[in-house]
Amino acid sequence: MTETSNKPVQGPVLDSLPTYEKAWATPPGWRKLSSVSHRVVGQRFIVTGLIFFLIAGMLAILVRTQLIVPENTFLDAETYNQVFTMHGTLMMFLFAIPILEGFGVYLLPLMLGARDLIFPRLGAFGYWCYLFGGLIVLASFLFDAAPDGGWFMYTPLSTKEYTPGLSADFWLIGITFAEIASVTAAVEIIAAILCTRAPGMSLAKMPIFGWYMLVTAFMIAVGFPPLIIGSILLEIERVLGLPFFDPAMGGDPLLWQHLFWLFGHPEVYIIFLPAAGMVATMLPTFVGKPLFGYGFAVAAVVTMGFISFGLWAHHMFSTGLPTVTLSLFSAASTVVTIPTGVQIFCFILTMAQARPRLTVPMLFILGFLFIFVLGGLTGVMLASVPFNWQAHDSYFVVAHLHYVLIGGMVFPLIGAFYYWTPHFTGRMMSERLGKWAFWLMFIGFHVTFFLMHITGLRGMPRRIATYPEGIGWDRLNMLSSIGSYILAAGVLIFVWDFIAHRWRGPLAPRDPWKAGTLEWLYAPIAPGHNFHAIPRVHSREPLWDQPELLENEAHEIEGMLRDAPHGRRETVGCHPVSGEPLQIVRLPHPTWVPMITAFFVAVSAVALLASFYYVAAAALGATLIGFAVWAWEKSETGQTVDTGPEGILPVDIASRLGHTYIAVIGTLLIMVALFASILFGVLYLWNVQPDFTRRAGDPDLLWIVLAVVAGAALTAMAYLARRNGYVLYDIVIAVLAGGACWALYQALRPVTPDQTALAATLWVMAGFVAVQLFVLGYWSVFNVLRKVFGLAGKGQRIPEVNRAPYALVTFLMLVAAAVMLGAPQLGVFA
Amino acid sequence: MSEQSTLGQFDSQTSLIPAGTGAEGTLVLTITMSVAATLIFLAVMAAVWLAWRRERPGHIWWLWAGGFILPVIALVALMVGSTFTLASIARVDRDALVIEVTGHQYWWDVVYDPDGRALRDANEIIVPVDTPVTFRLKSEDVIHSFWVPSISGKIDMIPGRVNELTVEASRKGRFRGQCAEFCGLSHPLMAFEVVVLEKDEFDSFTAGLSDEARDADTLQLKQGRDVFLNEGCTACHAIRGVAEGARVGPDLTRVGARAALGAGMWRMNVGNLAGWIADVQDMKPGANMPSYNHLSGPDLRAVAHYLSSLK
Repeated sequence: MTETSNKPVQGPVLDSLPTYEKAWATPPGWRKLSSVSHRVVGQRFIVTGLIFFLIAGMLAILVRTQLIVPENTFLDAETYNQVFTMHGTLMMFLFAIPILEGFGVYLLPLMLGARDLIFPRLGAFGYWCYLFGGLIVLASFLFDAAPDGGWFMYTPLSTKEYTPGLSADFWLIGITFAEIASVTAAVEIIAAILCTRAPGMSLAKMPIFGWYMLVTAFMIAVGFPPLIIGSILLEIERVLGLPFFDPAMGGDPLLWQHLFWLFGHPEVYIIFLPAAGMVATMLPTFVGKPLFGYGFAVAAVVTMGFISFGLWAHHMFSTGLPTVTLSLFSAASTVVTIPTGVQIFCFILTMAQARPRLTVPMLFILGFLFIFVLGGLTGVMLASVPFNWQAHDSYFVVAHLHYVLIGGMVFPLIGAFYYWTPHFTGRMMSERLGKWAFWLMFIGFHVTFFLMHITGLRGMPRRIATYPEGIGWDRLNMLSSIGSYILAAGVLIFVWDFIAHRWRGPLAPRDPWKAGTLEWLYAPIAPGHNFHAIPRVHSREPLWDQPELLENEAHEIEGMLRDAPHGRRETVGCHPVSGEPLQIVRLPHPTWVPMITAFFVAVSAVALLASFYYVAAAALGATLIGFAVWAWEKSETGQTVDTGPEGILPVDIASRLGHTYIAVIGTLLIMVALFASILFGVLYLWNVQPDFTRRAGDPDLLWIVLAVVAGAALTAMAYLARRNGYVLYDIVIAVLAGGACWALYQALRPVTPDQTALAATLWVMAGFVAVQLFVLGYWSVFNVLRKVFGLAGKGQRIPEVNRAPYALVTFLMLVAAAVMLGAPQLGVFA
Repeated sequence: MSEQSTLGQFDSQTSLIPAGTGAEGTLVLTITMSVAATLIFLAVMAAVWLAWRRERPGHIWWLWAGGFILPVIALVALMVGSTFTLASIARVDRDALVIEVTGHQYWWDVVYDPDGRALRDANEIIVPVDTPVTFRLKSEDVIHSFWVPSISGKIDMIPGRVNELTVEASRKGRFRGQCAEFCGLSHPLMAFEVVVLEKDEFDSFTAGLSDEARDADTLQLKQGRDVFLNEGCTACHAIRGVAEGARVGPDLTRVGARAALGAGMWRMNVGNLAGWIADVQDMKPGANMPSYNHLSGPDLRAVAHYLSSLK
């Protein structure tokens, strides 16, 4: 928090408001852009995602129009390839995940009983990264350099040799940049769910949506890193010519596919789970009874999260994997139907408890059940290897993936729009238009995609701009195209309703759907703040089971932290499991720093694209300064706050139960996943191209040992520093981090990275460890400065407590890297 | 062999009317799984309907039955059937006839008897009926995928790797295959034809493959051959007995005998050939061959006539 951001918003209107409203007011006019509140950021994510959805949908209409007749000349091959590439890219990266995260960002604090998401500036920073990254990807159209290698970007087609120009770079840089938003949101959601629940809300009493989002966030943290590493490797190959994927130099094009699908398969579940979580939240409302089999559903979601990481190779059945591998991945792929089936039957049995109300969101839930079950069944068919060999990369797969993604995500999402829009705007969307939208979408969807199963079995491959006349695909394609127009008409009606309800929709009453979850506690007039006082929660459906909540005016309900007597934004920090209050979390006020920092990242990305490498480096430096400005705030650890009913609680505790510590653990999970992806690359190349192992020179063993020793000493210091905050510790840690980096560099000097893929990957691995060491050094220097300027005093040791595990994990990475560097010449694993 | 190309022939590329053992085994699996999937779908939808109608809560046993027991039974059955089919079709036959196919942007290099006489052809694959044939699949540039739906499932052609696929065609005929992995600008225009012949017809076909190309015997054909030799065509294309060795582009020794032109995309005739030579980049954007639109009319006609005479 900067000096300025600590002050509440000023202004003539705001001065007249009570302290609480003033502390939480969103700045008016254009200064609203500086808001970091989860309501504002969540709505930005949702609206931006919706716009990307419409653009990507328009591209889909272009695809279907091109394919409406054989040998069509509506689009040329180049444009068609750009259009289908961007359709997939926008839908997957810039629509599906961000919009669901937007709903998570908006809804979670409200459902959990928090006044804001736990790291509001991180959320805002993530949003700007997403927006700027998305704009970079879109801007490729303006430069006539739209990516045209498919959303999967298979090497070697995407390498410089076969895709010269900037189109692939736009994709790699823009998407990686936008993914920052996903991983920051993942950390934020993990910490928010574990640390800011209302008093009494144990994990077992958490709304089911929280569980779905928690598992999703963990999956993002582990699932995105393989793609980020793959993209970095491919971009390095394109720019610097290091041969990661070149078989003639010890690389392998399949390494890209493994990294891509290690991300790509969990990605599908990352998209499905939040949407299923919305269904699990909306459905009980319309039945009027709690979700059937809550424990089963939670277990199923957690199981699904784990299983989803063991299935990636089923996207690679036709690459010539050994038969045993095929059978294992085939069996593993079918197992995922069990947790899915459990969830579906939880939904069905929830409906059996009472006669459901047939509202528009309910219609979309029924549509979801119908379409998703069908898509799941064709998915099981695809898990069968012989069938997969016929259906893979044919229109059968196109049909299947749209059944699971549109059925599993878009239908619940539009239901969710109808359900939660009153909360966003205070007005209801139209029942009549909603029904039109549903039926047009439902019918259009099936006409478009059901027929594609047959088109695929009749031998039509995917991703072809034209097809010859008369071999059995003409009529099917024409019907599919007509269906897509019907589907699009349904979507447009929904969009029109979403826009027009702002002035046509009736005002929404308090708890308009008679829901049981906490987000409906206040009348939906979008006041811009969440809870005057945070009530104690005794049930999963507090609004149903705690009559005092709805019987009283919302702002008069008894709870913790009534109002904001000091004008500061605060919320309750809880024990991660029991949900009992542990601390008070001070939250930031509106600030421009996240936006400016994200802007510098954007400058860096654009400069990288334009090959202005000095500008890119300077902008990266500015980004680091931005982070420092952001964290340049006086520590408030040690202060206390009288919360009212729950007594006096400490502010911002320095403990392993604190929210920042949990966030650091979440961050380390991402870091470990990134490192593991590189490690996977090293072991994979070692395994498939053993002849190249030592061809590019051997690292210097002495320097490797020195690096490990420096790392060990650094870690010991980091743990000692937790006990007392001597500046000397910080200085020694920074020096040791620098020393370890230098030793790693010296160790690798004899290895020429452009000679073999393995050597290049080892350099990347060492580079990653160096980045980790740099973070520790930067962290320590920053800590010294804070102490020197009196921002952190005795006993205010959150940085020290959080740095220790970071140092330990970095040390373990260093050891792993040392083993990989030293093993070949010692004959280990020979 | 039949002269009619598969272009415009209904169901020449379908997996639903199989003409090979791989496709036949898979079709049985496809039908069985489709029927089972339909039944399961109807059962689940019936459960939804019942849940909607009922007023009293369902028992937890429904969850066990629908979420665990039924899926496990269905999955075990599926895995058993699928694995048996896989075992029967995935075996690579070491004694089978070997044909090497190499993917290029955007055509197929075909070599019969690669370990012996290495007889080169392109974009059309002749196989004997009821005989195991092992395709040895490679790529020279990006990833392609070899797929003849009527005969067998697909397998990728990956640079730096060799994938093998044994198939056995079960009836005579002409079937269309197509690249199934997105491989660049003209990926949709990368097809080929598989011609299934009787064993003795196949033997006489391969016996004739080592012959030199048909001689140019008229004035126009001689002129066409000279154009071919003088315009730089030989840098990429080989014609046995006329210009040998080049492997950048398809072998043209029997180009006139193929039913289709441009890797299975247009019917083979003099007009299309002339159009192709003059206008490759419009017909197949991104192909490695430049458009020879500087050739004079008579030269173009001559070379097109010459090429179509090579049978």
